[in-house]
Amino acid sequence: MSRQVVLHLAKATRSYGNQAALDHVDLELAEGEVYALIGRNGAGKSTLAKAAIGALALDAGSVRVLGADPGRDRNVRREIGVAPQEIALYPHLTVAENLDAFAALAGVPRTERVSAVARAMEETVCAERAGERVDHLSSGWRRRVNLAAAIVHRPRLLVLDEPTEGLDPETRLILHRLIDGLRGDRIAILLISHNAEDVAVLADRVGVMENGRLMVEGRPAELMAQAFGGRTELVVRLSAASPSVESILASRGLAPSDRGLSWSGTVLDAVTQASEIEMALRWVDVELRELAVHPPGLDALIGWATRSATGSVGA
Amino acid sequence: MILVMLRVMALGLWRDRAGLVLVFVLPPLVFIVFASVFGAGTSGKLDVRAGVVDQIDSADSRQLIQSLQRRLSGRLTGWPDVVALEDAIESGQADTGLVLQGDLADTPTPVTVLVHPGRKAAGEVLTAQIDTAVEEDLPELMLRREVARLDPILALTPDQVRRATGAQFGHASPPPFAAQRILPGGNPLLIYYAGAVSILFLMFTAMQGAMSLIDERRAGLRLRLGLSSGGVAPVLGGRMLWLTALGVIQAFVLFLVAAVGYRVPLLANLAAWAATAVCAAAASAGIALAIAAACHTREQAQPVSTFAFLILAAVGGSMAPRFLMPEALQTLGWLTPHTWVIEAYQAVLWRGLVNTTVIQAWTVLSSFAAAGFLAALWIEGRRRL
Repeated sequence: MSRQVVLHLAKATRSYGNQAALDHVDLELAEGEVYALIGRNGAGKSTLAKAAIGALALDAGSVRVLGADPGRDRNVRREIGVAPQEIALYPHLTVAENLDAFAALAGVPRTERVSAVARAMEETVCAERAGERVDHLSSGWRRRVNLAAAIVHRPRLLVLDEPTEGLDPETRLILHRLIDGLRGDRIAILLISHNAEDVAVLADRVGVMENGRLMVEGRPAELMAQAFGGRTELVVRLSAASPSVESILASRGLAPSDRGLSWSGTVLDAVTQASEIEMALRWVDVELRELAVHPPGLDALIGWATRSATGSVGA
Repeated sequence: MILVMLRVMALGLWRDRAGLVLVFVLPPLVFIVFASVFGAGTSGKLDVRAGVVDQIDSADSRQLIQSLQRRLSGRLTGWPDVVALEDAIESGQADTGLVLQGDLADTPTPVTVLVHPGRKAAGEVLTAQIDTAVEEDLPELMLRREVARLDPILALTPDQVRRATGAQFGHASPPPFAAQRILPGGNPLLIYYAGAVSILFLMFTAMQGAMSLIDERRAGLRLRLGLSSGGVAPVLGGRMLWLTALGVIQAFVLFLVAAVGYRVPLLANLAAWAATAVCAAAASAGIALAIAAACHTREQAQPVSTFAFLILAAVGGSMAPRFLMPEALQTLGWLTPHTWVIEAYQAVLWRGLVNTTVIQAWTVLSSFAAAGFLAALWIEGRRRL
């Protein structure tokens, strides 16, 4: 059975002056699907999220949520929940008062509000703090309540901007379970995250943004395989930048950052390469700060997506 | 180190445009308003609007009126009788008035200056203008008055004079040409200042509350609120109602203190007072919301509102009585909510009236409220986050 498309962006375009914040973005998100949007700072992720909920006028293209324009249709806006990166709560109200206010604003009838608030608190495991003022809570608790406020009216599209930022592992796990449960309730979730674990655990599909464009998208595992094959990420950090090491590192496909102090890239047979690099650097008398080998992360994926889209470097 | 800090601070101010305006533009502007008010007051050049009743209609009285007309730059209006003139002063159509009630040449005090208890300065100015007019423009009249005063004395021998009047007769002062009569009605200046202070602080209170709009934007709350079923309108509408209610309570507390401590007759016309308070609070809320909606940050809104509210207060009469101001400034005052609030409170509490001025004030204040609210709605509605 095919799933209903909840969010549909077609050629969504928006510029600020000469700077393209969104550049002909096409995106579809179906019910019960978690779509993770990743990219560097300023890549256009938050702009896309704002466009998706109708908070940003497009220069061209269209946005539809459940077939309607969220910028114009008030009814469809009720079907959207948003948890911004900031703690978007009233600090002087208690947890329960905040959730009650947002439920009322979202149009939840008075008779259903108490149960809606109780359910949201239960799902985000914050019922024990129901009577506490938000400004008295720690950042982890606030983030739970921030999410509870986004789901208290049971939206069909949920936009989460860095929902696990600054959370301890326990709270992160709670939120992972919650998001998984919401997916089970057929809620479509647009997840903006820098966290590799969030993306790996939660996302059904990943889209990589750069300069307002959606460079690539696909299932996380498929995308990683396509990007890196059997490659591993190799990271080299130097105590000082030196022209003599540039050819050594660049010839192995590593790219510099941090003014030449840091080099990274995905390579085949990373352990052998690491050993050869260590010897070569000792030979030219450059001190090594760090030499690490690990599975490619989001940064590597973003880098790959950008390079492959511009055709500068192959995988 | 000291020079470095000096440079850092100087650059900070130089790049803070609003701060520059507050530091260098606002003080001179407020000074100009005060200088116009008190500079004119101390030089005796107040733009007093006076009324006159000429019960004599003699050549002397007509000449005196002509002279005063010139000295008051045409702001002297004739009234048919004393009652009409008193009504005009009470309703604010005239600041003060004079009644020519006896032959100017031989009545000891032929002129009575009617003084509004809340505008004593206007009475003083008019009295001074009358004395100057008589001395400078009607010297022959003064001579005749002196002759008339001394005539009975001149017919006596020095011994008779001494016996009749005592040794001090030669030094006795002549009776004043014009005497003042304070009109009844308590102290309306207290009502003036209650209204003036009330609207001044209503504005600041409303701005403080309205700036939560900016906080909500910064905290991402606006994004969430924008998804609410009614959109921006209920978000702003709820805030408008709250700020209006808060303003009414604040005004009530202030007038309660004035009533208990200074016998301001709050209960005399409570319903009309309440209507004025609601209109004043709504106007403040509307203006504050419009400013908050137009500003991106608190740092922007704070100086902009302080600048606007202080100028409005100075021009509108919250800082110095309007009747002391030059006529141009008084006219400008009608563009501010402050003037309307002050006039409405004075009318409903001191005069116990709901007259045309009060109805006009309610209409104007409601228009300020509606215009401010609609502007805020328009700006916030267009603002995509």
